Amino acid sequence: MEFLSYLSPMFFTLIAAGALIGVIFGAIPGMTATMAVAVCLPLTYALDLTNGLALLLGLYVGGISGGMVPAVLLNIPGTPSSITTTFDGYPMAKKGEGERALKISIVASLFGGLFSAGVLFYFAPVLADFAIKFSYVEKFLIIFLALTVIASLTKNMLMGIFSGVLGVWLSLIGTYEITDGGNGETRLMFDFMEYYLVAGFSLLPVLIGIFGITTILQDAEKGFKGDAASPTIKLTKGSRFSFSVFKGQLVNLVRSSSIGTFVGMLPGVGGSAASVLAYTQEKNFSRDSSQMGNGAPQGLVASESSNNALTGGALVPLLSLGIPGDSTTAILIGAFTLQGIQVGPLFIGDNLDTWYIMIAALVIANFLMFGIMFFAIKYIAKVIEVPKHLLYPIIVMMCVVGAYAINYGIMFDVWTLLIFGVFGYIATKVGLELVPLIIGFILGSSAEVYFVKSLESYGNLTIFFTKSPIAVFLWCLIVLSLAFSIFLKVRARKKESFASYS
Amino acid sequence: MENQFLSLFEVSIAFEESHLFFPRIVSWVLVGLLAIILLSKSKKVAPALRRAGQAVMHGSDGFDRKRFFGTILLIVIYFYMMAVVGDVFPNTGYGFLFVSIPFIFLLALLYVDEKTKKNVLVIALTSVVAPALAWYVLSELFRITLP
Repeated sequence: MEFLSYLSPMFFTLIAAGALIGVIFGAIPGMTATMAVAVCLPLTYALDLTNGLALLLGLYVGGISGGMVPAVLLNIPGTPSSITTTFDGYPMAKKGEGERALKISIVASLFGGLFSAGVLFYFAPVLADFAIKFSYVEKFLIIFLALTVIASLTKNMLMGIFSGVLGVWLSLIGTYEITDGGNGETRLMFDFMEYYLVAGFSLLPVLIGIFGITTILQDAEKGFKGDAASPTIKLTKGSRFSFSVFKGQLVNLVRSSSIGTFVGMLPGVGGSAASVLAYTQEKNFSRDSSQMGNGAPQGLVASESSNNALTGGALVPLLSLGIPGDSTTAILIGAFTLQGIQVGPLFIGDNLDTWYIMIAALVIANFLMFGIMFFAIKYIAKVIEVPKHLLYPIIVMMCVVGAYAINYGIMFDVWTLLIFGVFGYIATKVGLELVPLIIGFILGSSAEVYFVKSLESYGNLTIFFTKSPIAVFLWCLIVLSLAFSIFLKVRARKKESFASYS
Repeated sequence: MENQFLSLFEVSIAFEESHLFFPRIVSWVLVGLLAIILLSKSKKVAPALRRAGQAVMHGSDGFDRKRFFGTILLIVIYFYMMAVVGDVFPNTGYGFLFVSIPFIFLLALLYVDEKTKKNVLVIALTSVVAPALAWYVLSELFRITLP
């Protein structure tokens, strides 16, 4: 229990601050948990490991939770994962039960968050123990599997795969590092770029650019019409909140949290998939789903418990395999690296104290998020009225600080923001998928090392199939995920053609 | 027989060329995928490009040219000037502080819907307070490197 000595008042304050800032970011439509982490990143540079983790995890939990506020009050999901919260939350708010809807959502969020933290605590070490035995061959296949799963679950599989490969390609720009067993030569660039790109593009400026600047450009294009929507509904007019709403909701809570945690573990699948899946399951399996869509608490419970369960789920592959589960954990991996944490199979075993601190921070963040939102929801609901024309310039400024300070003052990292901001904007326009691209970018250079080293030591491509039973098993999973995605596409197409006949 | 089959898949990587081995594979996969995508969508590419061109040149489809290109232009000037001013006052973060104030003011002015007296006043106030606060907390309290 040595880690308890690390839990200072500062630790709690930072978690609370993180959760509050996260909730605010989540509550403003168009701004996400990812952005919250990106913007607050510079603050963590000055903090030590424990306090840095506190702030980051607070932001993460808060950011995911905040999305419920505009979902209920404005019928606009604050983050993609609160899309199903609008189905029942907004009808309730129209009846004057806005506060009740929000409080139900907050309690469900707390349950989902704690459930997934529990799963993380018990499951991540098991997975890491298993992954420790992996050689380069299996490590390469794990990355290959992660990219396949991400790509096959995107809307357009071909574009998803292309985006993932493009991300890998971008990560290879720069030097083949000698420290990774490479030969120290640069590639994929012209000679005049060598001065800037010897070390390639830095991870965090790329991420901040894609998630910060791209969003701003997308909104600038639309011209900020109807900036700062103000809710016209009363928070409390109808029936009040009481915990008795949760009577008979245990199955729903557990099912939705499990779905959220599981989807969170799949790399790159994203929050909206989790909440939509949980919502439809509740609709199919509950005894009485007739009111769902017209303001039924059970819909809110399903949606919010599943999207908060993502947090713990997404941390499982991050901490045990070094593979980020979504865009926010992608930024977290960069922030952890800055604090000197190398996530991967060895992480938990080698850093038991840090591991316990993380779990503690995650659990505390959920409780503090709950406390802040449950008692201050009336005031937080006002945040959605802050106009974006004031927020966005400040966000650009904070993105600059984050990018500039990351390598102790390199101006090229700031330009990277703009390069990737514009790139991300164009990429979404032509239909590329940003999440596979980012995850390809993060994993690309490790994939190269594992792939080349495997071939250097075995000298034969067949080794990827014959190395071990685990390798065969991973190939089965890769084929399965492709087959499953094709099955889904074919079924969707059939349904469409049926619909057009009738 | 089996050995012959296995030898088909033999690969040897020369160390001095090893930095190109994986990038070459990835580049070819990328080119191949791009070709498939372009072929499968060949009919949609030209009209989409024309629509995008229309939007950029004439602001059709609700494309706000002023705000979009204004944002990019302001960001470019912001980044450039920050380095210039930062070089005049090295290691103080003044480059960041002094250039952020006009940047925030102009960008907010570009974004705001109605330039009423009250709005402009709020923007002016924000554009001074926000950078000053960020500069003080990050550079002075936390000792973080700023331009």
